Amino acid sequence: MYEPKDIIAILANNVRKTMSPFGIPKSMVNGWWKEESLPRNGETLLVTGLMYQLVPFIETATTWLARYEDAKWAEYLPYSRFVPPRLSGLGLAMITPAEAKRKAAGHLKNIVKAMRASGRRFGYQPELDEYSGILLYDLGDQEGFVRHAKRVAARLKGAGVTSIVTVDPHTTYALKVLYPKYADASFEVRAYFEDLNLSGAHAGETLSIHDPCFYGRYLELSGASRKALGNLGYACADARRSGLFTSCCGGPAESISPKLASRIGAKRVEALGGSGERIVTMCPICLHNLEKAGADVTDLSTVLAGGLKTA
Amino acid sequence: MSAVNPAFLDELEAYGENAGALCFNCGTCAAVCPLDGGHFPRKMIRYAQIGAVDRIREESRELWRCLHCGLCTQTCPRGANPGEVILTLKRLFAAEWRKS
Ligand code: SF4
Ligand code: SF4
Repeated sequence: MYEPKDIIAILANNVRKTMSPFGIPKSMVNGWWKEESLPRNGETLLVTGLMYQLVPFIETATTWLARYEDAKWAEYLPYSRFVPPRLSGLGLAMITPAEAKRKAAGHLKNIVKAMRASGRRFGYQPELDEYSGILLYDLGDQEGFVRHAKRVAARLKGAGVTSIVTVDPHTTYALKVLYPKYADASFEVRAYFEDLNLSGAHAGETLSIHDPCFYGRYLELSGASRKALGNLGYACADARRSGLFTSCCGGPAESISPKLASRIGAKRVEALGGSGERIVTMCPICLHNLEKAGADVTDLSTVLAGGLKTA
Repeated sequence: MSAVNPAFLDELEAYGENAGALCFNCGTCAAVCPLDGGHFPRKMIRYAQIGAVDRIREESRELWRCLHCGLCTQTCPRGANPGEVILTLKRLFAAEWRKS
């Protein structure tokens, strides 16, 4: 386990300087939209919060962090303080595989595909799409979170944004619940799968759903994802713990203890694997952590966009 | 022997809403918590209730194992919001670090 104080200091410093927890320039993180010909304006604004885009960098950073986490010589050398700062900025960007970045971009493109097929009229303005600061909130750096949230909210309000569509549970929770409370900013916030209007015929395939904590419990949205899948003809199987009582994938522990994250992920995979069905989730952190624990997991966006082809 | 601060729960309110006083120490939260075994978070809530600040400080790294997943809060029979108490304790220490 790394020293929380050191990890928080690094992340908070990165967020303050670059608006990103890993200190990587946004131009290197957020390029998926360039091939999508997205309108800038619409009934609502798509705000990704950059979580899907950041996961490839999280994957790389945590692989390195895990290597040194319990090193025997860590008590003799200050490695536990030495490693984390190296895992930021351009260095991290350079060692992160392009394939992982392409995969993350693919999920966002699939979300756009599903929204377009549903006739959603949304705009996208990359300069307004910022990281929400949720990791600082979860780690208890309230001052750092509030300062960042106010910066992000001021930009959105300055651009006249009132309605937002989100793609991941962490950003959705931040914008919908935390920003009104701490950043004096209230928007109408909807997760992308709440307003889909798709249909298809996939009778016969049952999916095993892993509800992310923020969607299943904090935002009580587990019914909406099942409805979107049900409209395409899929049946959904619930794991032993699901919906309001869903069990965590372990991902939130990654910045402090990758090994703890892996242990919790493995337990969750075991619980999800019981039905033998394809596991589906709708959070980039869950996706990454469950995959790392050995599961074959599909993002909801892949299922929705794939369902359209044969609809 | 550790010093206790009977006003600790009240002081904690500066760092967030918390209903730790409602806890009756049943251990449901520790039983459902996905962290491996032990008495977390019940133990921390108890320390906070009795104002055993030194004990919380000694074991403060444990707080950051918490995933902020909320399952403890969902299942707590007293509405003591244990997940939020843990987050509030994290905020207390993080604020101290910022000042130091
Ligand atoms: S916080 Fe709630 S669940 Fe945990 S010990 Fe106290 S009363 Fe029981
Ligand atoms: S919020 Fe923290 S203490 Fe509560 S169940 Fe989740 S990991 Fe355990």
